[in-house]
Amino acid sequence: MLEIKDLTVRIAEDGKEILKGVTLSVPDGEVHAIMGPNGSGKSTLAYVIAGRDGYEVTGGDILWNGTSILEMEPDERAAAGVFLAFQYPIEIPGVATMTFLRTALNSLKKKRGQAELTTPDFLRLIRAKAAELGVTDEMLKRPLNVGFSGGEKKRMEVLQMTMLDPSLCVLDETDSGLDIDAIRIVADGANRLRGPGRSMLVITHYQRLLDFIVPDKVHVLAHGRIQKTGGKELALELEKSGYAGFAGKAA
Amino acid sequence: MIVTLMKTEAEEALARQFAAVASSLPGTGVAAARRAAAMDRFRETGLPHRRIEEFKYSDVRSALKTAFAPADVQAPIVDANAIEAALGPVASLDADRLVFVDGAFVQSLSSSEIAGVTFRRFATGQPTDDAAFSAIAGANPLLALNEAFASDGAVISVDGARKLAGRLLVILYLHTAREPRRVTTRNLIEVAANARIDLVEVHARIGTAAVQTSTATRLVAGDGAEVAHIKIDREISAATHLSLWDLELGAATVYRGFQLTAGAGFVRNDIVARLPGADAKFDVSGLMLGRGDDHVDTTLVVDHIATGCESRELFKAVLDDRARAVFQGKVIVAPEAQKTDGKQMSQALLLADDVEFYSKPELEIYADDVACGHGATAAELDESMLFYLRSRGIGLAEARSLLIESFALETLEKIENDDIRAVARSVVITWLGADL
Repeated sequence: MLEIKDLTVRIAEDGKEILKGVTLSVPDGEVHAIMGPNGSGKSTLAYVIAGRDGYEVTGGDILWNGTSILEMEPDERAAAGVFLAFQYPIEIPGVATMTFLRTALNSLKKKRGQAELTTPDFLRLIRAKAAELGVTDEMLKRPLNVGFSGGEKKRMEVLQMTMLDPSLCVLDETDSGLDIDAIRIVADGANRLRGPGRSMLVITHYQRLLDFIVPDKVHVLAHGRIQKTGGKELALELEKSGYAGFAGKAA
Repeated sequence: MIVTLMKTEAEEALARQFAAVASSLPGTGVAAARRAAAMDRFRETGLPHRRIEEFKYSDVRSALKTAFAPADVQAPIVDANAIEAALGPVASLDADRLVFVDGAFVQSLSSSEIAGVTFRRFATGQPTDDAAFSAIAGANPLLALNEAFASDGAVISVDGARKLAGRLLVILYLHTAREPRRVTTRNLIEVAANARIDLVEVHARIGTAAVQTSTATRLVAGDGAEVAHIKIDREISAATHLSLWDLELGAATVYRGFQLTAGAGFVRNDIVARLPGADAKFDVSGLMLGRGDDHVDTTLVVDHIATGCESRELFKAVLDDRARAVFQGKVIVAPEAQKTDGKQMSQALLLADDVEFYSKPELEIYADDVACGHGATAAELDESMLFYLRSRGIGLAEARSLLIESFALETLEKIENDDIRAVARSVVITWLGADL
């Protein structure tokens, strides 16, 4: 279970406060959506869960399965099961996608005390999972994300998520920049991972992704706080009324 | 004879050494007179220093504080196994070999016959071929110093009668000395029209003592020749390595040069290329690896003289601790050299706060229908890339080496021969793995 308790976060560089006391819980096996307007702190929350530098946690805590992850390095969090699907996946010239996937998978296996995969086993796994997401051999041979279209990058994120077997998936604006067919492929990939041992936090500005990844709960994040929590119908309400109703509730 | 007061202890020592060893250096008559004339030219300038524009970032005078004694002309006996060990990954190359130990050719360690290649020692006969070094290279005082002291080297002709695919020749320069020594070699390579050769020049060290290396290579390729020319310098903290390549490429030649420098103290690599024939394709690239107080300089002049030639340069540096790298790349396009297509890039990866990278691209274009460009970057490891890799479970050290490796290894794509590229890769990985 993911528990975020009264989390306050500011930007390390300029001291600007972004999260002003976020509290929410995602029980095992549930999918929760976080919706909110631009600048509400959605991406900050995603990065702070994954452990990116540049943010200062000034109060509160993030517990994953009862243990605080705030002092853990990003790779230790990954080993503990945390996976962030990036809004803007990073291009890494010179590192072949296949090499990267294998290095990441074996690093995680090692950290989790599992046996590393043999080359044939790895190839079998990657071929099967890549085919499900329409990731071609040619893409796997290219440097990681270099020259990939927006849709290809997001499919690669979901492929990584599938391969690395996380127990907490944070999807940051996975629908941004995608047409409806691409959203469906990516959402199908995420839905295949739904199950009792896995929690998901789906961050999105728009409701339409939630037509494909139907959440158990929806939280509205605005002005650095969760303003409202409800069922999946809350997303539809927001689609009609917009975020304007939360404007007056700034701290 | 022009007498100029020698200014530094090293310059005085060089003059004394020349007086002492000149008579025992190879060549008599014309050759001996040429050596004396070269020493006179050197005396006029002395060691190049930072007030000379081409040496602004690499002050040889202060790097070479003392001049080590010249190595004995008679090479010591060297165990073949010790050589294989010193060569590291280079030993695995399946190739013909010419081996020079402490500046002298060793027949017993070399291939006795090389198909399509005529070889003779620089030290035998009259090395009058030296007149062929180009005017640009000839203005470099380090070339004069090399000519004065050269003890041996390879004089090679590559036969154009048969176009042998995959012919691979390795020239090894090994340093075994237990006392600091100075080693001076000089090569002349002629590649006949339409001939093809892959040439690898390797500098390595067996001995424990510091070495001052001076090596000059003049390579002339006839029309339509195809030459791959690779230098791998793994002397590892030798005191100084001064290298000069003087290249002259005929019409429609395809030349691919590469220089890999893996941490060798103070290094100056001069490359001068003249393209007097039309439609030549010229690529010279390199990787400079430095840590500690290493200083690696690549200074390049490409002289486009004829129409339709292409030149490509990609030089990268990986710098840690207090290491410094210099890249100076001058491309001259003569009025007649229309349709010249030149691209140059230099990039440095800065791994510590105290490293320095100096990049100085220069274009001198006198023709009006050309496409020439250059670029330079210097950057630390990208934080967002590191975070991305780490968020996938890859530890900090491994993420760093993955990014450093990918930066460095990109240059090796310029080496077309798979075996040579694998060797170069291994040299790079070994160097990177030493303390990252």
